[in-house]
Order: sequence, then structure tokens, then C-alpha cells
Amino acid sequence: MKDLTIRNLSKTYFDPYAGTNVTAVHDVSLKVEQGEFVCIVGPSGCGKTTILNMIAGFIPYTGGEILVGGRPVKGPGPDRGVVFQSFALFPWRTVLENVAFGPKMRGVRKVEREQIAHEYLALAKLTEAAGRYPAELSGGMQQRVGVVRALANEPDVLLMDEPFASVDAQTRMTLQEELTRIWQEKRPTVIFITHDVAEAVFLANRVVALSKGRVLDDIAVDLPRPRSWDALNDDARFKELSNRVLQLVRSA
Amino acid sequence: MLWRLSSALWFCAPFMVLLVLWAVFIPYFDVNPRLFPHLSSVVQAGIEGVEDGTLIRHIGASLLRVAVGTVLALLIAVPLGVAMGVSPIISSFLTPLFRFFSVLAGIAWIPIATLWFGYGFGAITFVIFNAVFFIVTYNTLLGVSTIPLQVRNAAASLGAGRWAMLTEVLLPGALPNIVTGIRTGLGFAWRGLIAAEMIATNVGLGYMLFVARDFYRTEVIVLGMIVIGVLWLLLDRLVLAPIERATIERWGMVQRA
Amino acid sequence: MKQFLLKMWSHCVRLAARWPSIASIAPFIPVVAAWWIVTELQIFPRVFLPGPVEVVRSFGSLVYTGILPAYLQDSIVRLAVGAFWGVALGIPLGILVGLNKRARTALWPLLLFFQAIGDIAWLPILVIWFGYGLTTITVVIVYTVIFPVVLNTVLGVRSIPITLHRAAQSLGASRIRMLWEVVLPGALPNIVTGLRNGLGYGWRALIATEIIVGTSGIGFLMFDARRSGSVVEILLGMIILGILWYIVDSWILAPIERATGQRWGLVTR
Ligand SMILES: Nc1ncnc2c1ncn2[C@@H]1O[C@H](COP(=O)(O)OP(=O)(O)OP(=O)(O)O)[C@@H](O)[C@H]1O
Ligand SMILES: [Mg+2]
Repeated sequence: MKDLTIRNLSKTYFDPYAGTNVTAVHDVSLKVEQGEFVCIVGPSGCGKTTILNMIAGFIPYTGGEILVGGRPVKGPGPDRGVVFQSFALFPWRTVLENVAFGPKMRGVRKVEREQIAHEYLALAKLTEAAGRYPAELSGGMQQRVGVVRALANEPDVLLMDEPFASVDAQTRMTLQEELTRIWQEKRPTVIFITHDVAEAVFLANRVVALSKGRVLDDIAVDLPRPRSWDALNDDARFKELSNRVLQLVRSA
Repeated sequence: MLWRLSSALWFCAPFMVLLVLWAVFIPYFDVNPRLFPHLSSVVQAGIEGVEDGTLIRHIGASLLRVAVGTVLALLIAVPLGVAMGVSPIISSFLTPLFRFFSVLAGIAWIPIATLWFGYGFGAITFVIFNAVFFIVTYNTLLGVSTIPLQVRNAAASLGAGRWAMLTEVLLPGALPNIVTGIRTGLGFAWRGLIAAEMIATNVGLGYMLFVARDFYRTEVIVLGMIVIGVLWLLLDRLVLAPIERATIERWGMVQRA
Repeated sequence: MKQFLLKMWSHCVRLAARWPSIASIAPFIPVVAAWWIVTELQIFPRVFLPGPVEVVRSFGSLVYTGILPAYLQDSIVRLAVGAFWGVALGIPLGILVGLNKRARTALWPLLLFFQAIGDIAWLPILVIWFGYGLTTITVVIVYTVIFPVVLNTVLGVRSIPITLHRAAQSLGASRIRMLWEVVLPGALPNIVTGLRNGLGYGWRALIATEIIVGTSGIGFLMFDARRSGSVVEILLGMIILGILWYIVDSWILAPIERATGQRWGLVTR
């Protein structure tokens, strides 16, 4: 696991229909320490996905720089795992084969990579589903596969773009608790994007609020771990932090 | 607007390149016109064909056959398909039968059609009728029988009578399938038409091609091929595909090439 | 008595459930029976519409003389060879056109146009180029099969969600591996559909070609019979064609199509 440095990052889209430039990300600087869990919150259209896609290397940036472990980002790579909002599981591979995909690309032998996959599936309580195809899973299960697929590749940084937005509230809470548990076990560097202020405070060490392509503020979350919704629902500190972040986002 | 214009231009560009290559390379390598014609002689043949009316006559004959065969087939196929599709037992019993015949559709009927009807309009129209009829009936049957029972029950409990059930539920529900059937069936019919005209008539585009072959008039052959291609492209892209898109893609999610 | 009939009925139902092919044969029984009755009653002249018995008899004699097996083999081999080349050329071309924007602008309009010309219309000029023979037939079939395969492959490649490409890339897949791991399987259901359509067209093109320029094969058999006025053999040819294609399409191609598309949840039906 390595740290992540973003310096004066900017992104300008060219709109071919209108023939104009749209600046989605202005001048964003951010430092994420190794093993840190950072949530980025902000209103719709403020540039969260754009930043994440640039870190992942899916789209080029037009200014500034992104360094992972001191090395600049050029295109996608296995050092940065991505969890997608739409899951993006390979429908033609079983759950096990999906999770084993990353190791396979690294050239890990079949027996070993299946062992790795089984290990991670157990971590997400998915052992039973190993032989099934994604289409045969519920949304919540699919996203758990999405998370462990990214983790099984042992990336330096884990990037997550609203990964729990399309599952129901009950499942989402379970997934959030599981994610904190897995994070504590593996301690990857995580950048997690969300709309949901409570989710951000629940998961993160640090919440970064974004508005119109700029960083508004940076709030440290000093809640003790392991965290669970049962304990935090009535926690005064949790409420206070949530309120602060909420005020910040609404003022944007 | 500007964007549409430029995409239309981009669509035409490859053809321009092809025409230029044709105009340059065929004379350059001095290809025997009995093997492949010069661009200019194809244009010449086109102009002559229009001026003396032969080309128009061939096109007219072919289109008339397709129109008559298709309309007749549709008039019978759609009501028949709906009637059979209403009862699940009848439709599941008849499905294999119609699949079998839609598999035979078109070209395979040419020999027997020419025996039954003699060479000429009757035999060719019969081939087209066959190509469209079985496929459209099969697809209508399929379309009606896949309308969920709940939808039919819902309509009935909302007070739909027999006629309303037909026009408001069964026909619209089967329409995407019917349109797909027409498009597929016409595809087979068009090919069947060309094949049948090569064998069994003395007018029509297929005949024009096949006769030109006897005299090694490649410019007429290539002209005929281009006309066949353009006609089908116009029919398929400007009439059939938009209708299909309007029904299938708006109501469902299926996409087709 | 009623008990007995019910028991028979339940036997039939169970049999049909065990072997679905029986359910698909059953509807032909009344059709053949009606055909037989019509010919026995001599509603149409016998030369115009021979009965099932004559067709079976001619089947027997054509098999006995070895003509039918030889012709059948010719037709099937031609179709198989044409289909093989159609797929071997069509899938790579489809992937190229699907993935590469420049290739698409250059080739897509041409593909649509040349598909529209249709296989049969090529016959006259192909005969001038290659004469009456195997080359002409093979070219026609390859030409027929290749377009549905290419167009459907393009559609399949283009319908793969971009997130799948991104997921594979960020899991460390190289460009070559992406072809094998993402593009090909993602497009596979469409490719199978294309192959199915292509074979449907190719098979008809084969018959037409054999009728017009052939010297052997089922299509030739039918046209030869037409020349000598033997309706029996024409009907036999049609029935063989129908059965053959029915078997290939519904017992081989359709199940493959369903097996790829449905379990993956790419096709909802
Ligand atoms: N490909 C593109 N071309 C042009 N403009 C774009 C493109 N992608 C995004 N934008 C613009 O960039 C801005 C930021 O978009 P982005 O998707 O990053 O927002 P977001 O914060 O992720 O929003 P949401 O919370 O709704 O997902 C928006 O104004 C959007 O319109
Ligand atoms: Mg977003």
C-alpha cells in the first residue's frame, strides 16, 4: 500500500456539440496517507467522478499531477483497484473467476489464484456463491463481489465511486459495516465517493467536501473503530460530525 | 443540423473513395471489360437504361412483384397469427409447424412454384408470398402468445371487450414481433426474388443480370447489382428499420444490426 | 375406459416433457394425414401433388442408388466450408470495426451497402469470373455468412459497457488480453446470433446457387427434378431441407444461443 498525492489537479472537458469548454475540476490538491480511508462528498455535478476517473487513469487530466507512491499516473493499472457503482462484474465469469481475474492477469497459477479468490470470498461471506454467475446474485452480493475483486488484486489504492448507491438501505448498512471490517483487516488506502453524509462519516478517517470542482474543507473523523450502526446511531460525536459535514455541503 | 449533415457526408465518403479507386485502377491495370467494367461504361449503361426505359421496366416489374406478394401475405398472415396465438394450446401446438415452414421460406419454393404456376409473374409472386407469409405468421403467433396473461387479464378486468382486446392489447403487443417478422421475411423475399427472376421470367432485375451474363456485359451486371443494393438499402433503412426502432427499441430493449 | 384414456393422456404428456422433440413432431402428423387424404381423393392431379407414399418411395430409391447421400454430403460440406470462412473472417473484422473508430467510419457504410447487394446478385459476375464450380458456390456462401456475423459482432462489441473495459484495465489486463477476456466473451451472444442468421441466409443462398449454377447438391436435385417434371423429388428435396435446417437451427444453434446469453443474464427472454 502506498500514499496518494494530488497537486493542483484540473480537468477541462470539450463539449463538441456546444463547441465550448467545461471546467469540471479546478485546482484540487489532496494528500492521502498510506492506509487512510478518505471519503469525498459533494453535490451532484461537482466533479467527484471526474477526479476518481483521473486517479484511476480512465481519463487524462489537463493540469496538475497525480502521484501514487511517488510515481505519476499514466492510464489505468493494477496498483489502483476500482469498485464501480454499476458493479461492472464480468457476466460470463463465475463469482470465483471474477475475483481471480486480477491475479490471473498477474500470471498467478490457477490453483493459487483460486485459493486467493476463495480467501477473499470468505472475507466477504460469499463462499457459497463462488460457483454462481453475477446475474444469479442480488445487487448487494454483486457489489460485495465487486469490492473483493478489487481487493484480491492487492492494489495500493482502492477507488470507490458511490459503490453502495444502488442497493437497498438495509443491505447498504451491512455493506458499510463489512467494508470497515475488511478495511481494518487489510488496511488499503481508500478513496470513497458518496452523496450520503452519514455514510461518509461512518466509513472515513477523513471527509473531504467538494464544491464546483474545488475542495471546500477537510474534516477529520476521530470516531473509534470498529464501528457499527448500532453503536453510532445515538452517538453524539457522530451526530456532531455529520452535522458539520452536512452544513458544509449545503453551504456549497 | 450541421452535425447531421457532416455525419451524412462521412457516410458517403467511403463510397467516394471506392468510386475514385474504381475509376483509376480499372483503366490503369487495363482490366478486360468482359471481367470488370469501367466506371464510365456503367454510368453509360445506367443512362441508356433510363432513356430507353428498360431499366425502369425491370425495376418496376421487380418492385411490383414484391409489393403484391408482401401485401397478400400480410393480409392473411397477421389475422391468422393473432387468431392462432390467442389460445396457448393451439399456438404451442402449431409453433413447430410454422417454424418448419418459415425455415423453408423463399428460395426452396422456386422449383415447385415454377411447376405449379409456370414461368412468370405467378410463380415469382408465390415465392415472395411464401417468404413473407410463414415468417410473419410465425412471428405474430409468437408475439401474441408471449403477451403476459396478466396484461390480458388486466385489460379484461378494465372492461375491454373482444374487439378492444384485439386492437388495444393483442395487436400492439405483437407489433414488435410482427415488424421484425416483416423485416426478416422481406430480406428473404428480396433474395428469393432475384434468384427466381434469374430462372423464371423475362423481365425484372434478376433477369437483367442473368441475361447480361450470357453476353459478358459486365457493365449491365454491375449496374444491376448497384441498383439492387441501393433499392434494398432504401427500403430497409428508410422504411423497415425506423418502424422497427419505433416499436422494439421504444417498448423493449432489443437492438439489432 | 375413461380411466384408461386419462392414463394414456398422462403418458403422452410425460413423454413430451421427457423428449421435447416429440412435441415438435406431433403437429406434423395431422398435416401429413391431410396431405395423404387430399392426394388419395385426387383433388389435384397426381402429377401436380403426389402423396406421402410416393415421396417416401422416391426417398428409398434415391438413397438406394446413393444419389441422395452424395448430394446431401455435397451441400452440407459446402455450407460448412462457407460458414467456417465466413466466421473466421467475420469475427476479426467485426471486432476491428467495433473497436476502432476510424475503421468504423471507413467500413461501416460499405458493409451496409455490400450486404444490401445480396449474395444471389453476385452470381452472374461470379460465374463469369470463376465459371460453374465450387469456387463460385463457396464465394457466395462466405459472402452471405460474413455480413450477419460482422454486423452482429460490431453490435456486440459496441454494447459492452465501458465500465467492463475499465474494470479489466484497472485489474491489470493488457490490450491483447482485453480482446480475449472482455471483448470476445462480451460480444459472444451477438456473434452466435449473427452466426445463426448468417447460416439461415447462407443455407438459402446455397440452394439458390445450386439451382442456378450447380451440378450436384440438394438444390440441384430439386431443379433437375423440375426439369424432368418430377414433383415427387422436388417435394422430397424441400422436406429434406426443412428437416435438416430444423435440426441444425433448433437443436444446435438455438441452444448455444440460449446457453451463452441467458445464464450470463445478457439476454432476457
Ligand atoms: N464526458 C464529459 N464531457 C463533458 N462534460 C462532462 C463530462 N463528464 C462530466 N462532465 C461535466 O463535469 C462536471 C462534473 O461531473 P462529474 O461526473 O464528475 O460529477 P459528480 O460529482 O460525479 O456528480 P454525481 O454526484 O451526480 O455523480 C459536470 O458538470 C458534468 O456535466
Ligand atoms: Mg458521479
